[in-house]
Amino acid sequence: MAANSFDRPMRPAMEKWHLFFRNGQGVLGLILVALFFASAIFAPWLATHDPTKLDIPVRLAGPSLDHWLGTDQLGRDTYSRVLYGGRVALQVAAIGVSTSLLIGLALGMIAGYGPRWLDNALLLVFDTIRSFPTIVLSLAAVSLLGPSLNLILAVVIVTSIPGYARLARTSTLALKNSEFILAERSLGAGSTRTLAHHVMPNVIGPLLILAAMDIPVVVTIEAGLSFLGLGVLPPTASWGTILNEGYLVIRTSPWPVVAGGVPLVLATLGFTLLGEALRDVFDPKLRSQR
Amino acid sequence: MEKLLEIRSLSVDFRTPRGRVRALREVSMVVPKGKIIGVVGESGSGKSTLIWTIMRLLAVNGTVENGEILFDGGNVLEFDDNRLKGFRGEKVSMVFQDPMTSQSPVLDYRSQFTDILYRRTEMSRRERLGKAIKMMNRVGIPDSEKRIYQYPHHFSGGMRQRAGIAMALLMDPSLLIADEPTTALDVTMEAQIIHLIREARSEFGSTVMLVSHNLGLIAELCDEIVVMYAGEIVEHADAHDIFFDAKHPYTKALIACNPALDLEMEGQFPTIPGDVPDLHQSPAGCVFAPRCAFSDETCSKERPAYSISAGKHSEVVDHSVRCHLYCPDKGGKTKHDLTALSLNAAADRTRSEIAHCDEADELLSIQDLRVRFPTMGRIKALAEGVDDPFIDAVYEVSLGLRAGETLGLVGESGSGKTTLGRAIIGLNGVHSGSIKFKGSELVGLSQNQYRKVRRDVAMMFQDPVGSLSPRRTVGQLLTEPFLIHGIEKGSQRDQAARLCEMVSLPANFLSRYPHELSGGQARRVGVARALALNPALIVADEPTAGLDVSVQGEILNLMLDMQAAHGLGFLLISHNLPVIRHVCDKLAIMYLGRIVEYGDCEQVFRNPAHPYSQALVRGTPQPDPTRRRQLVSIEGEVPSLSNRPGGCEFHTRCPYSGERCKYLVPEPSLLADGRTVRCHNPLAE
Amino acid sequence: MLLYIVKRIGLSALIIFFAVLTLFALLNSIPGDPASIALGPRATPEVQAAYAEKMHLDKPIVIRFLIFAGNVVRGDLGSDVFTNRSVSHTLLEQLPYTLTLAAAALAWATLLGIPIGCLSAIRPNSWLDRLTGVISIGTIAIPSFLVSIWSILVFAIFLGWLPVIGAGDDGDIVDQLRHLILPAFAVGLGWVGYLARMVRASMLEVLGENYVRSARAFGLMNRTVVFRYALRVAILPTITLIGIGFGVLLSGTVFAEIIFSRPGLGKIIYDMVLARNFPVVQGAVLVTVALYVCVTLIADITVSLLDPRVRENL
Repeated sequence: MAANSFDRPMRPAMEKWHLFFRNGQGVLGLILVALFFASAIFAPWLATHDPTKLDIPVRLAGPSLDHWLGTDQLGRDTYSRVLYGGRVALQVAAIGVSTSLLIGLALGMIAGYGPRWLDNALLLVFDTIRSFPTIVLSLAAVSLLGPSLNLILAVVIVTSIPGYARLARTSTLALKNSEFILAERSLGAGSTRTLAHHVMPNVIGPLLILAAMDIPVVVTIEAGLSFLGLGVLPPTASWGTILNEGYLVIRTSPWPVVAGGVPLVLATLGFTLLGEALRDVFDPKLRSQR
Repeated sequence: MEKLLEIRSLSVDFRTPRGRVRALREVSMVVPKGKIIGVVGESGSGKSTLIWTIMRLLAVNGTVENGEILFDGGNVLEFDDNRLKGFRGEKVSMVFQDPMTSQSPVLDYRSQFTDILYRRTEMSRRERLGKAIKMMNRVGIPDSEKRIYQYPHHFSGGMRQRAGIAMALLMDPSLLIADEPTTALDVTMEAQIIHLIREARSEFGSTVMLVSHNLGLIAELCDEIVVMYAGEIVEHADAHDIFFDAKHPYTKALIACNPALDLEMEGQFPTIPGDVPDLHQSPAGCVFAPRCAFSDETCSKERPAYSISAGKHSEVVDHSVRCHLYCPDKGGKTKHDLTALSLNAAADRTRSEIAHCDEADELLSIQDLRVRFPTMGRIKALAEGVDDPFIDAVYEVSLGLRAGETLGLVGESGSGKTTLGRAIIGLNGVHSGSIKFKGSELVGLSQNQYRKVRRDVAMMFQDPVGSLSPRRTVGQLLTEPFLIHGIEKGSQRDQAARLCEMVSLPANFLSRYPHELSGGQARRVGVARALALNPALIVADEPTAGLDVSVQGEILNLMLDMQAAHGLGFLLISHNLPVIRHVCDKLAIMYLGRIVEYGDCEQVFRNPAHPYSQALVRGTPQPDPTRRRQLVSIEGEVPSLSNRPGGCEFHTRCPYSGERCKYLVPEPSLLADGRTVRCHNPLAE
Repeated sequence: MLLYIVKRIGLSALIIFFAVLTLFALLNSIPGDPASIALGPRATPEVQAAYAEKMHLDKPIVIRFLIFAGNVVRGDLGSDVFTNRSVSHTLLEQLPYTLTLAAAALAWATLLGIPIGCLSAIRPNSWLDRLTGVISIGTIAIPSFLVSIWSILVFAIFLGWLPVIGAGDDGDIVDQLRHLILPAFAVGLGWVGYLARMVRASMLEVLGENYVRSARAFGLMNRTVVFRYALRVAILPTITLIGIGFGVLLSGTVFAEIIFSRPGLGKIIYDMVLARNFPVVQGAVLVTVALYVCVTLIADITVSLLDPRVRENL
């Protein structure tokens, strides 16, 4: 055998990260996402004021040295409120996306690998859930149970599961009759072993990418519901509540609606760019599936 | 000799994430008018890049670094859009490898044909349609007035390729480029397409450039042959010169590696050691030097020049070869006795001895096996009034295999050979019949009971890389059989190392992932996994498909060695008849799920008794340009399983079929030499 | 083909049935007295009793579901808790506003997004492609309710060009159109980017297919190759995705209607949620679900009509 066939080629995974870092949009996305995480985690240290402390005399002020992004109609510091609002967004995104990813992965693999009737039944469930537009379902749930952060989380999880599950199902179906799965079965591997060792590692990648692209959706749902006054309740700071309170005074001071909106846009932009770059580099086939 | 197209010193690079790849390196050749010129090479030889460069349709990351392509007094590489329009499709046309993906799925043939005729502005719509229909008729598509309104997915593979040829001939091109035109087709279809290309040449006077890895196809059709290796042309000569008087060590090796159907080969398969070089680094010397048996220091340092001599078999075509052995200034080297080219031809085959030692017990015995698949959902069947929505993929099959024996299972796609193999290992449900392994029944076992069987029966799958779980290392893959069956035999690391050594893979491969392996290496891992638990029987589904000819021999040798060492029984599923002939003791030929002929392998090849066996055996193109025959090709294509012909299933295509064949299913009859044949009028006694 | 359509319609009906079931289950799974929950704390015991009577709260749950489902099938979605008006009637009044908004948003987004996607796919990595890439990702990143708020800020407050409240006077088409512009802009903006990226991606994929390369090898004109051979196939997944994404579009209209105080399903759901007028909310949710299911059905059937492979095989 020729000597060069022993030289280990560059690992494709490393090669792809290499590609990723040459993708300007992806790097920008990564930076924005890192900023989002950092500002949310370190909010208590970065904030200049207590986000709930009222200071009526300086209400509706524009940006100044003391209040970097101005104040709202109760004189609270918008900059500090935006930082703390990021914590709520991060909380919803992290819990919501990870839970629905795990449940979706499991259900999707079961649907794809299991018997036909189970697949059909699960598909019907997924389709039913998907037929409720998220906001409409949230409104219905809120009208029954009253607004709360947990309710938002529950709605987000339930409505996100079908997306992950369908993707996991499609990949599992494609893998089910692939030669390497047949090869494992021919060696005598049972379903559990096959699913855990051979199907899951090949299914989870696209799901993680979908998760990166799903985070902005989740953050937006939280902000949107809170904006409507149906999510996080005042005085807790959330980007949605900042927008809600700002909207009431939009004709007097534009600062709150801008300050509450820009971080939302930046976070959305960051995750979208990151997700798309990851997808283009690691799994270009996904493009046509979403 | 009139030049139709001339390529001068063409170099093409591809930009890849891992750097530049030089896909073509100073390629020069002449395509003479009115001839069929063949371009042969294994994967990575640059043969496809060559044709796409001629068509000016290189992928976006490819750039022509150097050279020119002369056609009609101009350089194709400098044609402007207008000139290009008159070149592509008008002067030069193409037949593609895979007719399924190369024809638009959403346009019917009428649109696709008349789109090509858009340039004929003088023709009316009706005339264009008429011309298209005429051309479809011409290539042997029956009923073309109606079928032209159909879509590609309505056509079978062979018909689709015929339509593809019709499209290519529509503008009456002066050069027809055929890119692996038969690779996606079965043997009987291949023979028909070969006929068609020959006819096209004589009728339309086209020049044909045929690109293929299949030496048989090239030998059947070509007047001149260009041999490519790693982006270079290593040899160019008349077809006879290439096959009978090859000079370049690579060409010699390539021809030697290709098992010819008619020649009996003793001993092991010859192989070319090593892999196709990594084209990321330009080799300083000869591209073949690392794998060449005759290479010395000069070969790895200096690039050889072409040495040109008069052809032995042709007065027109010179024989040019790029090898130091023939350089005039290195006169001494040609004294090497090249005829004694030792291509790892070693020990005699030991298998025949083992095969003939009688073992009373049959390892595997299959009786009247039937495997059915549903063709449609129950609701659809009900709606369409189909009361039996099933097809029989395997139909009343009976076979036997003894330890140490190799049974070949041959058939075209859709014959049910893979289904049969998978049924034995329990991957497909069985409808009826029996499969006995070492005397115990396998049909009706639960998945749990089957687990024990799987220690003794292993399977090898078609795709060497694709049959290995992509996210596991070679080490994990090799120890997996032990984990599954809970066997503790020394440390697992030792076990993996032992298996690696057995299939001669270096131990440092244990930490690699499947995609880091070449096809041959991955195949070795597959063999090692199959052998891990010391099975008694291995079902090998197309073990050499997807491998280059030079690697194929290595794998077959390995399998034969293992058989000799462990007394394994092999069930070898393949469509590659030459390989089957050289490896198998017994042979079963399948057609539409049924075994039509079954018996001693050599007898079947020498004297096929079933007309279908005859068509397969005689229809396979031979790597021998002197023996071009009117191939015994049978008409038509394999019928769909859902539309199984009555009587003898083969009667619709059988040249010998009589009245009886149309309604009476032939029972298997026993011939004097022990073969069984399902035919009313067997061709052998 | 016919079988496929029948099957697809059957599936849609099944989904709507399950949606009704889900909604019913949701309503009945809440702990406490259904009447007081549905009517809110302000309702008097008499009203509660009348409600319990009307909703057959004394009967077993299965019977109640059957009555409920039967009413839904007959188009009877119950009546308003406060005014006792027929909910179906109220919703029928609101539906056209939502449909107009959704159609207007989708129309301008499609007319702009698809050509942009095509153009950038034909010349990938050109300045045009890069520019549209940045613009489309920007439009995707701004949530539609933010677009609504910010467009009010810019076009209504700073510039004072367009009205922001309501849907315009009845009978005055010009006024209605002026009232439609901002909401339609807000709902559709993200879709421009979304569609452009979708079409670009699937065009790029199709342009790399073998049959496109063979069409070029046969010397067909670039125009023919791009539109006849590539776009015809590339548009199919986009249609499916418009169908699936219609839910997101509906969410967008909900926000737009609320922010612009525009009548419509979303506005009425929101108002009735705040007023705890549960029958109306429930009815409006069902209508939205049915709307979504119908749109995906239409999208799927359109795709199957355009693709001969699907047309015959299913």
